[in-house]
Parts: sequence; C-alpha cells; structure tokens
Amino acid sequence: MMTLNLESVLIPSEDIVAREIEGELIIVPLVAGIGDMEDELFSLNEYAKVIWRQLDGKQSLDAIVDILAGEYDADREEIAGDVLGFVGELTRRGMLVEV
Amino acid sequence: LKFEPSELPKISNHQGDELVLSKDALLELMMAVLAKGRGFRFKAKGWSMIPFIRDGDVITVDPITSEPCQLGQVVAFRSTDERCLVVHRIVARTDAGYLIQGDNAMNESDGIIRHEQLLGQVSRVERNGRRIWLGQGPGRVFIAWLSRGGYLAHLRLSLMGLRDKIRKLLPR
Repeated sequence: MMTLNLESVLIPSEDIVAREIEGELIIVPLVAGIGDMEDELFSLNEYAKVIWRQLDGKQSLDAIVDILAGEYDADREEIAGDVLGFVGELTRRGMLVEV
Repeated sequence: LKFEPSELPKISNHQGDELVLSKDALLELMMAVLAKGRGFRFKAKGWSMIPFIRDGDVITVDPITSEPCQLGQVVAFRSTDERCLVVHRIVARTDAGYLIQGDNAMNESDGIIRHEQLLGQVSRVERNGRRIWLGQGPGRVFIAWLSRGGYLAHLRLSLMGLRDKIRKLLPR
C-alpha cells in the first residue's frame, strides 16, 4: 500500500473511463473488463472536479494545493488535508495511480 | 475573488437511476469504454426485443471482434441518427452485411448493417438479478427465423390473448 504525501504525483488509472458530460464529471471503473454503468457510476462534486482536473501525472499534490490556495478562500493546510483525503480515497478505489 | 469550499471534495456512487444521464451522455460513456477494448453493463430501455429483453433488464455488451457474427446473435450498433445504442438480433447474413431486427418487430428490420458498424455483442441479460436466456445457444437459428418472420411478436400477442381468455373463464 503506497503512502501518499504532498510530493506524490498522481494520474487517473488506465482501468477507468472519466468524462465531463453535461456538467457532471463521471467516472466508470473498468472492473474485470466491464464498465458497469448500472451499479458503478461515480460522479464528483464541484470541489473534487477542480482537484481531478489538476491530476495530470506531472504536478505534485503540493503544486496542486498551491493552485487551489489561489482559487479558494481557505487555509493552505486545510486545502492540503482536503486534497490528501480525496486522492487517498480515489487511490484506494483504484481510480488514481502514482507516477 | 475567492470562494470558500462549501463542502469537502467528494465522490459519489450512483446505483440504478440515481444519476440521470441523457441518451447522448450514456452513448458517449459507452463509446469511451469500447474504445478501451472493454465491455459495459447498462439498463435496457424499450420493448423492441421482447420477449428476450424487457425494459429495465440489465444487459452486458462485449466489444465486437473481427470474427464474423453468427445468425441469431444479439448485437449493438448506433441508431441511424447516431444518438442511441440499438440492441437487436441478426436475422440473416448477406454478402453486404447483416440483416438486423428487433424480436418484437413484425417484419420491420433495421436494414443491412455492415460488420464494421457493429459496436458490440450482448453476452448476458439479467432480470431482477437473475440471468435470462437470450436465445443465442443451439436454438439461435430457429429464434432468428422466428424473429425475421415476425412470429415472435405474433406468438406473444396470441399467448397474451389466450391468457386473457383463460382468466375470463376462471371463476372469480
């Protein structure tokens, strides 16, 4: 199990399909070769979408926190906690992988 | 101008009909999954494949291979207006392509569809969590013949009429 920290660089896994459609960011995990659009369709809220768009496999989480700190009126530490919590959950779900 | 995040970043799992996607959106997702060489599972809408597939059944579609499809196979392709996915049966094979038709259609086919136009083949149908027979096994040629002649639709209507008559005869 990898340990994430602000130096980590993450990218969406090859085992998902993610699309921004009609204002929603939809993620379909490809489990056992199948995209289950009946029982396994995920969406992100607005804050999560902003983080997701930055996960390009090039920027560290620290750099992403800097970008968010420029956009949101919140403490940098608080934002860092939000980002680590969110990417941690997506990594556990296999939707993100570390570069 | 900065905004305070109103809630934590969150991912939500939508089961069944919780997340309503338009036909276009669903088709875009399906195409994206197929582009990765994977299949998908989704809820069928419509009545054109009764009795084998009903509205609300959950269908699994596998990507199409280069192998020619067989008579009686249930396949997926884009509708003429390209806005939705059609899941119907191959009722004849010709040099130009496959003649495809819904099992509930009375002699009204989708026309000839070339192999390259096919997106996938149905491998599984579930109804209330149970796997449903799709008529793709040894009897598929017979099922294709019944479907092409519109006999499945006639048979279904006849059985419904018979059932109504029996109900009327039964004491209340």
